[in-house]
Amino acid sequence: MSDRQTVGDILAQRGVSRRAILKYAAWLASAMALPPSASKAIAQSLAAARRQSVVWLSFQECTGCTESLTRSFSPSLEEMIFNLISLDYHETLMAVSGHAAEEARLKAMEENKGKYVVVVDGSVPLKDDGVYSANAGKTNLQTLQETAKDALAIISVGTCAAYGGIPGARPNPTGAVSVGEIIKDKPVINIPGCPPIAEAIAGTVAYLVTFGKVPDLDHLGRPKAFFGDTIHDRCYRRPFYDKGLFAKSFDDEGARNGWCLYEVGCKGPVTYNACATLKWNGGVSFPIQSGHGCIGCSEPHFWDKGSFYQPLSTAMPGMGAGIAAGAAAGVALGAGAAWLARRRQVAYSQQTSKKEGA
Amino acid sequence: METDGQATAPGSALALILVREIGQALAAFAESGEPAAIDLRGLPMSDADREELLAWLGDGEIAATLAVAGRSEIRETRFTGVWWVRHFGTDDRIAAERIEIASVPDILIADMADVTAAAARFDDELAELSIPPSMEEAEHV
Ligand code: SF4
Repeated sequence: MSDRQTVGDILAQRGVSRRAILKYAAWLASAMALPPSASKAIAQSLAAARRQSVVWLSFQECTGCTESLTRSFSPSLEEMIFNLISLDYHETLMAVSGHAAEEARLKAMEENKGKYVVVVDGSVPLKDDGVYSANAGKTNLQTLQETAKDALAIISVGTCAAYGGIPGARPNPTGAVSVGEIIKDKPVINIPGCPPIAEAIAGTVAYLVTFGKVPDLDHLGRPKAFFGDTIHDRCYRRPFYDKGLFAKSFDDEGARNGWCLYEVGCKGPVTYNACATLKWNGGVSFPIQSGHGCIGCSEPHFWDKGSFYQPLSTAMPGMGAGIAAGAAAGVALGAGAAWLARRRQVAYSQQTSKKEGA
Repeated sequence: METDGQATAPGSALALILVREIGQALAAFAESGEPAAIDLRGLPMSDADREELLAWLGDGEIAATLAVAGRSEIRETRFTGVWWVRHFGTDDRIAAERIEIASVPDILIADMADVTAAAARFDDELAELSIPPSMEEAEHV
């Protein structure tokens, strides 16, 4: 339940010192690319802040996003996020159910009017009056509109909530749409990924608690701190791409030598996410490090963009064959490679916006 | 206290740039008392860059290990007031890493809110102490 205590009070009761807040602030400043000297001020403002009331709504989803957030945290630094928020409603994690659960949601909304944050995972079906996904006698559309009305901001967690995701893939039988296509009068922050990286969720929530405002977002509503670079920009296999050394199949010599996975379908050049730097499973690895190309899961409509195993230029309609040929022939060296990658990014965004506008 | 430095500059370009930046921040701190911090995690540092920087900055007089929401390591370099601070998260991976230029990194200082809470807890625990009868008698002598 939400309360009037500050984060500092609550941590003191739990025997957690201000040093832990300072450490968390150092992590947050680093993760969100804030000036490192700001961490003391961040810690002070976090300690004095009220816990952020969070109402978490799950619609057409697989619970993978919740798994990403909860499974990746062990009792250490990253667990701190759960001291900063009051998770007032979350169907999967809350102990109560039925009317008591719905009352908890309504009470949190009433007590924190204009200040609570709504986190949504899953897309919203609109076809046939939204009958395909309902809860407590209400369609997802009704629940979203009712809950978002007095919220401070909405965070769309996962590609389904951010862009429609898998439920929205062709032929989209339920008429699934993203949260941003419904909520137009509130800030909507997209943290896409299938699932998204836990640090991106936690960092964005912590930023909201600390500064009471939305972080810098890109043209698709994603926090720039986590989605400012492509996977390709930060990929450790990039030197092989620049030299034109490509694996041609998953078990050839190139694959064994750790060469670039572009020709076996890697979508890293057009995918904005932090997998290459933050990685997964406690920083152990990420798909490319484990030998599989990036499938572009944090980009809109990734499921409908052709095979995961075809090179970008052939998988994406509209891309010139010359780009693929250039990369495959190994002519994409140094600045040329960067230019090619940037061109792909631009072409990709234009394609995306065209599709969205269609 | 500074010990003898190494005459050769770090071989990695990034380490050299950082050394220069640290030098400027240290000079400013000496002049005005204005502390500074440089975030290392946000930089595209390789292990080799890190090793070179670490080796060049060397070891100073203080090294501390903190058990605060996981482990943290702080050590002063051979340049007084230049600290290497590493915060570890899950599975001992580095969650934040920075060079701090300060008299002492803030995280080592006891916050007065924590001191006040500790004093209250100390009082409570003292009140609850079961004092053996023999000592109670001795108190009244
Ligand atoms: S194409 Fe994929 S594997 Fe190759 S460098 Fe780019 S991101 Fe890495």
